[in-house]
Amino acid sequence: MSGESKNNKNSENSKGFVLPGDLLETKSKPGKGIFRKDGRVYSSVVGYSNDRSGYVNVNAIKGRYTPKVGDKVVAVCAETGPSVWRMNIGSAFNSTLHHSESGWKVPFGDTARFLAIGDAVWAEVFMVDAAGTHQISLKKDDCRKLYSGTVVQVEPTAVPRVIGKQGSMITAIREKTNTRIQIGQNGFIWIDGKGEDISKAQKALETIDREASSEGLTKKIEKLLEK
Amino acid sequence: MAGQTDMELIKDGIRLDGRKPDELREVKITAGVLDNADGSCYLEWGNNKVYAGVFGPMECHPRHKQKADRAIVQARYTMAPFSVNDRKRPGLDRRSSEISYIASQAFEKVVMVEEFPKASIRVDMQVVEAHAGTRCAAITAASVALADAGIPMRDMIPACASGKVNDIVVLDLNKEEDNYGQADLPLAIIPSTGEVVLLQLDGHLSPEQFEEAMDLATSGCMDLYKIMRDALDKSYGGKK
Amino acid sequence: MSSDSVSNLMKGHMESLAAEGKRADGRSINEFRNVSIETGMINTAEGSALVHLGKTKILCGIKLLIGTPYGDSPGSGTMTTTAELAPLADQSFDPGPPREQSIELARVVDRGIRESRMIDFDALCIEHGEKVWMVFIDLYILDNNGNLFDCCTLAAAAALANAKIPNVQHGVADEDVDLPVTCWPISCTFGKLGDKVILDPTSDEESVMSARFTVAHDENGNLRAAQKGMNGAFTDAEVREAVKTARKSDNVLREALKGI
Repeated sequence: MSGESKNNKNSENSKGFVLPGDLLETKSKPGKGIFRKDGRVYSSVVGYSNDRSGYVNVNAIKGRYTPKVGDKVVAVCAETGPSVWRMNIGSAFNSTLHHSESGWKVPFGDTARFLAIGDAVWAEVFMVDAAGTHQISLKKDDCRKLYSGTVVQVEPTAVPRVIGKQGSMITAIREKTNTRIQIGQNGFIWIDGKGEDISKAQKALETIDREASSEGLTKKIEKLLEK
Repeated sequence: MAGQTDMELIKDGIRLDGRKPDELREVKITAGVLDNADGSCYLEWGNNKVYAGVFGPMECHPRHKQKADRAIVQARYTMAPFSVNDRKRPGLDRRSSEISYIASQAFEKVVMVEEFPKASIRVDMQVVEAHAGTRCAAITAASVALADAGIPMRDMIPACASGKVNDIVVLDLNKEEDNYGQADLPLAIIPSTGEVVLLQLDGHLSPEQFEEAMDLATSGCMDLYKIMRDALDKSYGGKK
Repeated sequence: MSSDSVSNLMKGHMESLAAEGKRADGRSINEFRNVSIETGMINTAEGSALVHLGKTKILCGIKLLIGTPYGDSPGSGTMTTTAELAPLADQSFDPGPPREQSIELARVVDRGIRESRMIDFDALCIEHGEKVWMVFIDLYILDNNGNLFDCCTLAAAAALANAKIPNVQHGVADEDVDLPVTCWPISCTFGKLGDKVILDPTSDEESVMSARFTVAHDENGNLRAAQKGMNGAFTDAEVREAVKTARKSDNVLREALKGI
């Protein structure tokens, strides 16, 4: 069994849709969702290949969130330590919020008084090191503890669809439901408003999550929001 | 293998269930059937029925098992009590433990574990109906579940068995052939390289028969691979 | 959401919705999620059922084996219920020996079936004092999105209703007959959310509710089993009200069971 049979497989798949191990015919530089072998580039995930601006990427259909510096995320406190909080951001490991990045003056050992297990924040990923450990900060932009509303979860890979072209989708949802919404790159989404309005927005978001790769989604959401 | 070779399992080139020696039983695969699991698969292979679910990458528990430079794959294979005619007691037995162990090792070869130091990828394979070839069905289902979860891999792993009945090498033993046949050879390969990541043999094969059995099992794996790919295309290939 | 990412905000949001009689998924506080039941798919089992309750999915297999009766009931068959929290159903279901959660689940379902006399144990006698049929109810949780109790009871009832006694295979008689079932227990599980009581909680609701109450009724409206769980409390009035609600709301599950 050699690599020749590989090329036959691609022609059967929908355009741009690739599976792990599929060869990507490209001269571009390798991006994400790929691996290299013997000078060639292969997909490592189930997804859609994308070859532009000199980089070839495969956008995975599903997968846990991988933190990137600069990403805004919604994080939920999972553990409190004497000088840090361990925060769930939906990635393989929890993130660390150091007291010095919280914006509060936290006496040693008193962290739980400021942020308890289950509390949520709007934060920015400000450090990812070579070993893959990461930290978030509340000191940037509008980062802060969240006091009202609720947090819902979608696949991180669905976030671009939730936002829509130039923010069209999320703007429509916000306006039609009269809610404040902040979308974390990690797929955690904060919604604030009246109870019923939050439910309506939540339903729209869950529909997008479920049907992110299908056609006619925009129309479906429009209909949902009209009700 | 009970090896009672008196039983006529193949006559004039046709097996008890009507198949030819190189024919696979019918296989149906659906990806993404469970909501909680990060990735999942339901697979029917003849009368075998298997569910596979994957969680991860995530923090490794227990802590002492974690590896500093890569993720580990923790695979678990179990059979439901009602999956066999003589009800099986719930829980892991020695056979399930062995299969769990060799499955973990097979997956660690294709999953890009070096991308997730200290993490664990949990693979759970549940056989709910068994009719021979369950370990191959389970590993195949788990491969689809891993891909479904978006876990980076070099390829998926199809697994298929060949064997020998009445001195004839055949593909994909059914229950009678497994009980009364003369050899059983489950095989799992990496399709893009042909590398063997799982191989077991139970029974009696001459050197020529072994070569034949390997060829047959390999071609069975490649046929299976196409079905696995089609299943993922069906679930996710919709966008143009 | 996995149980460790549920936020306190969600709790407040759910409590305020419940105060208006509503739920995060659009249901009212006394409404069951969509239910679907499929039976007879497992050929190696004497009876089987796959039940979806919302996103919760449970498979139940019934095995009938021949064994010796208990000393104190020599003319009766026996029944054993197990519940496997398969690791693929929930990230928090660690592989390993049965946990308290799965034991409580199996025992509550067992009580609901046994106390309602759903199975006619005397009809399972083959040879008085020597041979009886042993009924094994094995529940397999495939996907946990809350309310395992009601989904398991439904799966067990559907699988039993679908079961046949394997006389032929065991040389007991010339033909297989239906497992004689006489009564249909349906369980209803409630959760305490703030100071409201909700029916059929999802796993998100389970992570924020403070107490749980399950009650099983037969088709005549009589109570057959009940269990209060978790470390919060219900008021006396809430318990009585829940029992009344159960008798009205369980119709939708009964209809689903009748339709198989």
